[in-house]
Amino acid sequence: MYEPVILAQIFWTGVATSAPHVLMTLGFALTLKVTGLWNFAQAGFMAIAFYTMFFALNGLDLPIFVAVLLAIGTTIAASLATEVYGLQVLRERQSGNLMFFIFTLILSQFIMYVITLIFGTEPQTLFKSILSPVQIVGGVAVSDWDLLGVGLMIGGMAALWLFMAFTKEGQFLTAVSDNAKLAELYGISARRSYRVTAVIASLFIVASMYLVGSHGGVVPNSPLELILGAVLGTLLGGIGRVFAAAAASIFLALIQSFSILVLASRWQNLLLYGFLFIAIVVFPRGVRLPKFRFALAGR
Amino acid sequence: MEYLATVTILIAIYVILAASYNLVIGYGGLATVAHPIFFAIGAYVTGLLAIHAGLPPIVCVALGAVAAMVASVLLAASSLRVSGDYLLIASLGFQLGLLQLIRNLEITGGPGGLSNIPSTIVGAARTPTFLAITIGLAVVSVLGIRAIVRGPYGRAITAMRDEELAFTALGRNAMSMKIVIFAVGCGVAGMAGGVYAFYFQYVSPEQFEVLQSAQILTMVVLGGMATAYGPVVGAVLLLAIPQAITFLDLPQNVMAPLQGIIFTVLVLLFLFLRPTGIMGDSDNKPRARASEAA
Repeated sequence: MYEPVILAQIFWTGVATSAPHVLMTLGFALTLKVTGLWNFAQAGFMAIAFYTMFFALNGLDLPIFVAVLLAIGTTIAASLATEVYGLQVLRERQSGNLMFFIFTLILSQFIMYVITLIFGTEPQTLFKSILSPVQIVGGVAVSDWDLLGVGLMIGGMAALWLFMAFTKEGQFLTAVSDNAKLAELYGISARRSYRVTAVIASLFIVASMYLVGSHGGVVPNSPLELILGAVLGTLLGGIGRVFAAAAASIFLALIQSFSILVLASRWQNLLLYGFLFIAIVVFPRGVRLPKFRFALAGR
Repeated sequence: MEYLATVTILIAIYVILAASYNLVIGYGGLATVAHPIFFAIGAYVTGLLAIHAGLPPIVCVALGAVAAMVASVLLAASSLRVSGDYLLIASLGFQLGLLQLIRNLEITGGPGGLSNIPSTIVGAARTPTFLAITIGLAVVSVLGIRAIVRGPYGRAITAMRDEELAFTALGRNAMSMKIVIFAVGCGVAGMAGGVYAFYFQYVSPEQFEVLQSAQILTMVVLGGMATAYGPVVGAVLLLAIPQAITFLDLPQNVMAPLQGIIFTVLVLLFLFLRPTGIMGDSDNKPRARASEAA
């Protein structure tokens, strides 16, 4: 049971299955950092992304890259429409957090009801088969889906880091997240930053839902449960720390993976909620690792 | 006639739920989505006590309400320590986590639900008696909450919601007040759950999903947040409209999402066009401002 190869397999599977969660956490945590909103409407956008791809592939028989492009288009459109005609209006009215919350949650539920009406409640997958070719590497089974997931995860994190660190637009996002009013005094448009954030989050959502939909069944309500993982990663990583949130998502996936050694599978989902409470009660501002500083010799 | 009576009983139960949710979210300004789970705690505790302990119905319902109250205190005390926003997140996790637990436990009947809850009243008098009980409880709940919020404690609640810093500066304990409001609201929801369990004699996890929050929230927003009779208007309207659709004889897989779409569209319209709701007075500047600030 505890042989190294088994532990290595569990570790690899944990890392690979964390990929969609990491991608959605990146979008969710970035939105929270820049706009200050727990944007539950993203669950609705996740449903839009998945069902657009599903319909393009299975209803219209389009090639996969066209389906993904369509999903990017519809998700960005929905996200921007929500930003411009919903969130912006509430901001102008100086509405409280509760109004934002009600709006994003209800919008998300509205989208899910519409999708349920169109597609029903049967679990759907993007492809006819969710089996992925597997190769054995050092005794560990590595599927093509695993490699795609890990590749998208690393690529997504690297792209976001480069964007935030080396582009003007990325630096504007950081400025707006620090102090939107002060940023505006320096000529940075907060509105533009919010819209850029919506577009980036949409890209992460599509990538994430591609992975989810090509690995298992999705029902219209699935995104609402999936987004809880993003919430938890964001809480554990600490609000405003996007990459720490992504790391926390990997950690949670590993915990869930390794829990099969001690827990029956039906109890594994409950772990997530247990961690949510621990995070809120013990680490309300996220887990902060100690900073190691090396004293300069001869100073 | 039996059908109309059952719908009326359901409306009365939802009036209790919506009124208690309004106390928490409207008057108290506490953002939570877990109200259905306190309804569920009341229903399950009542059902289990009735099946296994054979206690009198009133005691079962009272203990169901107490269980919901205790659970709400645990949730609020842990999450309100940091900031109000955490209650929202914690409530979402609490709702989903507890439902998962209910689905996995054998004693609650698992995903199949809890059946064989004993019928307390049998025969022709059953429905009229439940009708009288639920309507009576709804009236008492609405008037009781109205009395609370119109009294000195209610003014303190409003002050705490609108200006927490100033409220605390006056030496009042905002935290304990929030916990009390939350506990009372959730306890009332638990009581509604108990009555529900006795009337329908069957409860299952699907009846308490987080999507139920949208339904109750819709009743509160549409009727008018922080208004005494708003939740009553919201509950009656939103349970009556789907009944009208029922007569269209649509298949269930169309009916359920259609009802959901009606709920959510109404909330979205009211959020933007009339944030104060039907009973809210948009000319009443302080109340309108409070509703917006919520």
